[in-house]
Amino acid sequence: MSDNARTTKTVVPSSGGAAHVGMAEDRAPVGNEGGDDHRLPLLSVQGVSKHFGPVTAVDKVHLDIYPQEVVGLIGDNGAGKSTFLSLLTGYNRADEGTFLYKGSPVSITSPRESRNKLRIEMIYQQLQLARDLTVWENLFLGEELRLWGVALDRRAMRKRAGEVLERLHSKVRPNDLLGTLSGGEQQVVAIGRAILFERDIILMDEPTAAISAAKVEDLLQLVRDLKALGKTVILVSHRLEDILAVADRVAVLVLGRLHCVVPNKGLSVASLVHLMFGGGAEVAGGMDLLAAASWQARHAEKPQ
Amino acid sequence: MATAVLAPRQSLQWRRLGRLLAGNPGSVRRPVAFLVVAVIASTIASSSFLTLGNLKSLLTSSSFLIVLACGEAFVILMGMIDLGVESMLSCAGMFAAWLLVFEGFPGWLSFLCATVFGALVGSLVGLFVTRARVPSFVVTLGTYWGLLGIALLFNGGNYIAPSEGTHVIFTFGGIAGNSFGVSNLVFMMLGVVVAAQLVLSYSPVGLWVRAVGSNEQAGKAVGLPTRNLKVTAFVISGSLAALAGVMIAAWQASIYPTSGSGMSLQAIAGVILGGIPFTGGRGSVVGAAIGALVIGIINDVIVLVGLSSNYEYIFVAAVLILAGLQARGGEFVK
Repeated sequence: MSDNARTTKTVVPSSGGAAHVGMAEDRAPVGNEGGDDHRLPLLSVQGVSKHFGPVTAVDKVHLDIYPQEVVGLIGDNGAGKSTFLSLLTGYNRADEGTFLYKGSPVSITSPRESRNKLRIEMIYQQLQLARDLTVWENLFLGEELRLWGVALDRRAMRKRAGEVLERLHSKVRPNDLLGTLSGGEQQVVAIGRAILFERDIILMDEPTAAISAAKVEDLLQLVRDLKALGKTVILVSHRLEDILAVADRVAVLVLGRLHCVVPNKGLSVASLVHLMFGGGAEVAGGMDLLAAASWQARHAEKPQ
Repeated sequence: MATAVLAPRQSLQWRRLGRLLAGNPGSVRRPVAFLVVAVIASTIASSSFLTLGNLKSLLTSSSFLIVLACGEAFVILMGMIDLGVESMLSCAGMFAAWLLVFEGFPGWLSFLCATVFGALVGSLVGLFVTRARVPSFVVTLGTYWGLLGIALLFNGGNYIAPSEGTHVIFTFGGIAGNSFGVSNLVFMMLGVVVAAQLVLSYSPVGLWVRAVGSNEQAGKAVGLPTRNLKVTAFVISGSLAALAGVMIAAWQASIYPTSGSGMSLQAIAGVILGGIPFTGGRGSVVGAAIGALVIGIINDVIVLVGLSSNYEYIFVAAVLILAGLQARGGEFVK
């Protein structure tokens, strides 16, 4: 059993709504805590680390990700969340550890490989979209449909873009310029790429940071819709209530290490904050309310 | 209080009306609007402007600038700049003429060599910008001076023209001739504009160029070869500038090392007038070509009304500032 396994904890919800955290030394592989799932993981991250010079950003992380689930990934600033996602998307290469995709070992060496081989789509905090292009151009960028192998099949792409937007119940039209859309509508376009190319895993980094408070629930509903469509979502957010609203399991990173993975049952913002700071003792209801309030205040998004 | 509430709505309505007439930023409707205004003003200023002979002459004399602007459009669409196109024009023109007159190359081969030379220099510029990370402004300022220096070396600072005894003519495969009563140079220019616009609108590379100009990070995120695309833009700009050099040599039946003087800034002005902002990402080759044509019209009218050509710079400056106002980062309106 790895070092990480010995330090990872599991949370068992109590009947009263408070959660109890216990050690998970007897569990292996690490990262499966919180799920009694015996299915084959879609993606299994095994002992993955990433160093930037003397800094260890991700430290021997084990995490199994199953089909059609929403995993909330939380941690304080510098916990390694974004670096961990960058390893999955191929922007950074892991220094050690392995990835298993549907049980078979795979390497993730480039964003293109991550998208095409592992069917992973990343939706960034600052949406990586081109505001001067139309919606359909953004949706198909880099993976265009072609006529005779050289020319853009504009008609087919517009048609398929319209179908995807319809599946997402969006009023956005394929020919709309991205720059004319609201933040929430742009999120739909970013998510549309995942639907369009049948990605299995969708990584969302702070998706609610760029949209107005009124649109947050719409986005969370989109996450639920993605799950209903059979997708797996890994959601990173400082808004812990968003995590609690949609996640099936919550993975907690502390200083680059996977502190614990807990099922989203009986959890509260206070208990999550407690875990994020390495808490392992029993979390009584309201015990960490002050810390939670303080943390939430620090990370509160400015209203749009 | 009511005024304060209504003001933003009224402002939005005006903006929507403006967009209806001129299109969103980057729309070809904007340069077309400039063209219409320029044609009306020119017709009022000179009765001979709207004659067939003048229009043919205008299109022929503007064809070099339009070809330059087409290449410059690709570079500016990606948020960069090429200040060296005028030196490339004169250097490639001198090179082609030197091969033809002094080395006895056939016209078509001189033409081909000059264009390949333009593409090679463009690829070098692109590599300096992308690999060495030197800003395009600095690299192309270097090519501006460097290529001018090379152009001066071809004939000891003198022009090259066919000598009477050699019977060598600057036809370069007959490109200086006429077809259907119109200069072949005009057909070449139209071919370049149409081909470049087709690439931009209907090929994946064109889409990628606009995407990288709009948001380079978005391009990287989906795995676009952003560096290679930038190099490609400079290759297009360099080869089209070289083509313009051969065209101008054929038209003048002579070429000076300083033949393209001032045309870099005119090409850039044409591109901006055509609706492509310095930040890149939006606009069209057709728009840039129309922008360059508007500058050609200004030059033409100055001659027609008998003004000194010295006024050309003042008029172009005024139009450029107007173009800059419309090309600034305006917001899109649905």
